[in-house]
Amino acid sequence: MRKVVLIVLVIMLVMSTAVFAGGKKESDVDKYALMMSHMTNSFTITLSNAVKAAAEELGVELVVFDGGQDVSKQISQVESAINQGYAGILIEPASVDGIKPAVTAANKAGVPLVTINQRITNQELAKAFVGVEHVEGGEIEMKYAVKAIGGKGKIAFLLGPLGSDAQIGRTKGYYNVLKDYPEIEVVYEQSANWRTDEALKLAENWLQTGVELSAIVANNDGMAMGALKAVEDAKKLDQIKIFGLDATADALAAVAEGRLSATVSQSTEAQGLAAMEALVKLVNGEEVPAEIMVGHTLITKENVADFQ
Amino acid sequence: MKKLNNVMNGQLMRELGIVIVFAVILAILMILSPNAFARPANLMNIFKQASINGILAMGMMFVIISGGIDLSVGSIVALTGVVAASFAHPGEYPLIVPVILAVSIGLLIGWFNGLGIAYGKIPPFIVTLGMMTIIRGAALIVSGGAPVFGVTDEFEAIAGAFLFDKIPLLVVYFITITILSAYILTKTVFGRRVYAIGGNEISAAFSGIKVEKVRIMVYMISGMLAGFAGLLLASRTVSGIPTAGQSYELDAIAAVIIGGVSMSGGSGKWYGTVIGALLIAVIGNGLDILNVSSHYQLVIKGAIIIVAVLLDVKGKEKTT
Repeated sequence: MRKVVLIVLVIMLVMSTAVFAGGKKESDVDKYALMMSHMTNSFTITLSNAVKAAAEELGVELVVFDGGQDVSKQISQVESAINQGYAGILIEPASVDGIKPAVTAANKAGVPLVTINQRITNQELAKAFVGVEHVEGGEIEMKYAVKAIGGKGKIAFLLGPLGSDAQIGRTKGYYNVLKDYPEIEVVYEQSANWRTDEALKLAENWLQTGVELSAIVANNDGMAMGALKAVEDAKKLDQIKIFGLDATADALAAVAEGRLSATVSQSTEAQGLAAMEALVKLVNGEEVPAEIMVGHTLITKENVADFQ
Repeated sequence: MKKLNNVMNGQLMRELGIVIVFAVILAILMILSPNAFARPANLMNIFKQASINGILAMGMMFVIISGGIDLSVGSIVALTGVVAASFAHPGEYPLIVPVILAVSIGLLIGWFNGLGIAYGKIPPFIVTLGMMTIIRGAALIVSGGAPVFGVTDEFEAIAGAFLFDKIPLLVVYFITITILSAYILTKTVFGRRVYAIGGNEISAAFSGIKVEKVRIMVYMISGMLAGFAGLLLASRTVSGIPTAGQSYELDAIAAVIIGGVSMSGGSGKWYGTVIGALLIAVIGNGLDILNVSSHYQLVIKGAIIIVAVLLDVKGKEKTT
């Protein structure tokens, strides 16, 4: 009895993979692969949806792979895609260093590869890069923050995971702006790893110290929303202004309600569209610039309606 | 003096080792930061920040005393948080719906864990490790991979409101669950059976205890409390985040272990677990207030956990 159950289970398992893998007909249109570092937050979901929409518009077939934040898994996915005859590969790298073998393999096989959102260490190996300057995003966020608090006061930074591309770039942007404002003092600068619950706890603890903060500037909206909750709970939103970056749905709503002072859009949808267009051009033998940059947009109460 | 030594090395030290460690760390932080850390408002803040982990740790305590482990609680927090937030949009369902859903989903997952362990005879580490992965996937599927926003004010108040305008409700839940857990563990037959099967499963079975049933119950308690903690976290962060709760199981295990519960089961006290949860929150809060870099915080936290348990173990050795 037990053995029968076991055999049935195994057969079901095998069949289920066949069901998931099957259903895709061989067709004449070129097949493209999008390798995402992971699919677990608003940014990655928005980006992959934008690329999918662009592929549909351009009349090509697109398959999305989830790297699960594991660079070795992403390398294997690229290798399999090359073997399966994909025409071109878009990659949002799980690691800017570790992804090199996959890029080399694509070059060897003559499959055009475009990196998106993050520059890899050996960017010259890829055919093109589509993304934003994180430094610029940080500068836009900080310029507005400085204006909003009148150019002086004590401020705190909530940083992404230390060492990540976006954290380094955005924080550098903050300091580029602060050079001209000697009356602004950065009293706290800690990582909350993009996470709302960590940022909430950290901001609660800062508020306990009695230091009179004028602003909390966060590397992303998830952390800004955590800080906002802590400041609202302490009834200090009239003294402390909060700034974020990403333009997530809840952050936009908070900007519209006047609770979050500002967020910055990194034009995720535009990145997806530009990347897909560039890759299709490359596959068709056309030239594209090695770097295609998409701009940031500041979102405040004045223009938030355009983004919701 | 001799009498004092006896007290220090005797029964009192054995029971209170971790309390003394806790008091010393508290005193050090109070001296380093008298104006911020030691303020009553901050002490209440620490209590609040300890609550969610404390509630998870209460469930984990039952599991570890019974000789098991539950790695799935962090993922349960994420799934139940996402589900609760999805049913808490304005004008859709009454507040009771997300509450009941979160707790019963946790309970159900705990029941599955228990079935696999008690009847499937699969080691708890493996069952709950598998469940941890499955439930994390479920949280991502249910939410479509992105956080769930837009919850009602009443939902936000579940964790955000205060009792008598002073005591955060999170603390009230933590205290209530602690009292209930302490009562069940020390005053009921079920509680004694949990100790019995953790101490020696075979002799427990011989003495007529239905080991399987007790085991399943233990994982159901842990799952249910994790479901409740997921509800609280979603309310506290005003959103259901599918990647939330990562490594929460390790914090809960750390609280239980710091509190002197033996990893091999059969022994441990409820108040040790409370101290363990408070100690973890105290360290995090104190280091944030002293503005210690997040990188060093990890090193210090890990070292304090090991030293706390080491002192506790040494304290117990002297008496035996």
